[in-house]
Amino acid sequence: MRVLLILLSLPALAMAQDDMWDDEGWGDEEQASSWSGFIDAGVGTRFEKDPLLDNRNVLKEWRARVETSWTPGKTEISLKGDIGYDGILSEPISELRELLLSFSPTDKVDARVGRQVQTWGTGDLVFLNDLFPKDFQSFFAGRDDEYLKAPGDAVRLTRYSESVNVDFSWTPVFEPNRYLTGERFSFYSPLAGGNVAPDPPLSGVKPDKDFGNGEFALRLFKTIDGREYAAYAYRGFFKDPSALNEQLQPTFAPLQSLGASLRQPAGPGMLSLEFSYYDSRDNRDGENPLLPRDQLRALLGYEWEAKANFTVGLQYYLEQTLDPGDTRHVLTNRLTYQAAMGKYLWSLFTFYSPSDADFYLRPSFTWRHSDQWSLTAGGNLFGGSDDDTFFNQLQDGSNAYLRVRFSY
Amino acid sequence: MKHTVILLTALLASSVAMAETLTDADEIIHRANLASYYAGVDGRAEVRMIITDNQDRQQRRQFTVLRRDVEDGGDQQFLVVFSQPSDVRDTVFLVDKHVDRDDDRWLYLPGLDLVKRISSGDKRTSFVGAHYFYEDVSGRQPREDTHELIETDDNYYVLKHEPIDAASVEFESYVTWVDRNTFLPMKIDYTNAAGDVYRRVEVFKVEDVNGHPTVAVSRVSDLLGGGKTDMQFRYMSYDNGMPADVFTERSLRNPPRDWLQRSKD
Repeated sequence: MRVLLILLSLPALAMAQDDMWDDEGWGDEEQASSWSGFIDAGVGTRFEKDPLLDNRNVLKEWRARVETSWTPGKTEISLKGDIGYDGILSEPISELRELLLSFSPTDKVDARVGRQVQTWGTGDLVFLNDLFPKDFQSFFAGRDDEYLKAPGDAVRLTRYSESVNVDFSWTPVFEPNRYLTGERFSFYSPLAGGNVAPDPPLSGVKPDKDFGNGEFALRLFKTIDGREYAAYAYRGFFKDPSALNEQLQPTFAPLQSLGASLRQPAGPGMLSLEFSYYDSRDNRDGENPLLPRDQLRALLGYEWEAKANFTVGLQYYLEQTLDPGDTRHVLTNRLTYQAAMGKYLWSLFTFYSPSDADFYLRPSFTWRHSDQWSLTAGGNLFGGSDDDTFFNQLQDGSNAYLRVRFSY
Repeated sequence: MKHTVILLTALLASSVAMAETLTDADEIIHRANLASYYAGVDGRAEVRMIITDNQDRQQRRQFTVLRRDVEDGGDQQFLVVFSQPSDVRDTVFLVDKHVDRDDDRWLYLPGLDLVKRISSGDKRTSFVGAHYFYEDVSGRQPREDTHELIETDDNYYVLKHEPIDAASVEFESYVTWVDRNTFLPMKIDYTNAAGDVYRRVEVFKVEDVNGHPTVAVSRVSDLLGGGKTDMQFRYMSYDNGMPADVFTERSLRNPPRDWLQRSKD
């Protein structure tokens, strides 16, 4: 009887469906290009004043994003750019995140030439073989996660084949991380023996612009029966100004690295393994105190959905500095809870280092009110026991932030 | 004249086949699985979803889905490329569906250039904010449930299903109304541990596409919390001749434009 009722009501329901939608909006009218983006405003403030910095805020800005692409023939040109105003640095924001020419020179090869964001590797907010530029200032100040990856000007060629896929990225002019400069956050200086906020801000001396000083990154990758294997190589420079030159100015030491990773399903979740060997090219014997030493980095990760809509990610990260040895262990934990089908997203990412006795907590809450409006509130909390550890140097930068976004 | 006779015989034979009443639940589910997910050797559709929450607020999603069968009734590949709204534009979802083990699923997030792997435990999680689950995109494997034919009427086979691994799903059981002619499941009711029907999938419109009965309008309703997702399919086509390499990691970063564009004819 119930089935009959449903049958009888079928035509009416089908009509009701059609009424909700007209024939517009299927993209029939869209031509080769389209425009989209967002407007984002954010404020973040320290819990306590940093005695070295006047501004109590870590974030006070608005930005408008424009994204578009054109597809003349078989080529695609894509553009992503931000304009806005940064109230911390008191200057306009004008950043090109992507200006990219994508095409396939042969059947098996994809080329991407221009300004682009690049990512590879298996870590979750921990990077071993991914030596593409990152923006830690944005990350610590509460900008959207997207801004952790900074763009670079590069040529990326990927060749796909039955045997193994080959990914090659060439960044002709070295593109460092957006490291701590003392403008937004103070940082620990071994020379000063405490935190500093230099004025002018810290600026690492970049390598000369010549061919040999470009960045070359290679990845061989293949998926076999759901297991993702990859091998990596990089030749370039340490991405942070962790070295000192002969004039004792901060600079980027030459680096090459080799590594490998595996990602595969295991039980109810996803297991990942990655390691990397960092060869400090100018300091192989580890005797130059001005340069970073060789490192072995290893990562073990597991992520699974522990309950419906509740995902847990655990990682163990080892950083073994060699000759003389120095070991840093970091444990990370990502907890994500989605409610109302992703409308509310609760997240807590924790870094904890037992060897450094420091931690970094990243709680956040995102409310996706509609396809247009979303709101994110969160914090960046740093702590520890020693002044000179990576996370604890940012203790005075512990902050809470709020962001509102309108997407169009 | 001779041809007409043969044609008539063929028609008669097929109508006899249609009138045949099946009594084996596994056979009905096998045919329903083929009808729902394996029409043609490959398929393409453009999909729009309207997600309505319990306060009548609406969100929209629009994407193109490509599918290729490795084997009829067996392994399959799916590629879903989003075009709307702007915060999910160019997000790509790739599924390698396996009959003998868990499916492999990847999600590409263009803002971070990140290829994310989705674990098998995650399959009954909302797909991009809709009342549909990740699992609904590529279909739940028949082997994951038991099937029992509880009623056969003039139009439907009514089957009851229970999960073999109860801990991996949120339902206690579900009942499917399978159309006796097309073998498309026209309604599915999910019952929770308390015995309440809390989730309903309904098909409102079926169209003939290249000889395959194809769902054109459907809905998933949250009967306890309120809210629903309406789904509309357009520009469906089968047997397009898609090669296997459309469904590889390459398509995550570089979606196959030739297959995403509507054919001009």
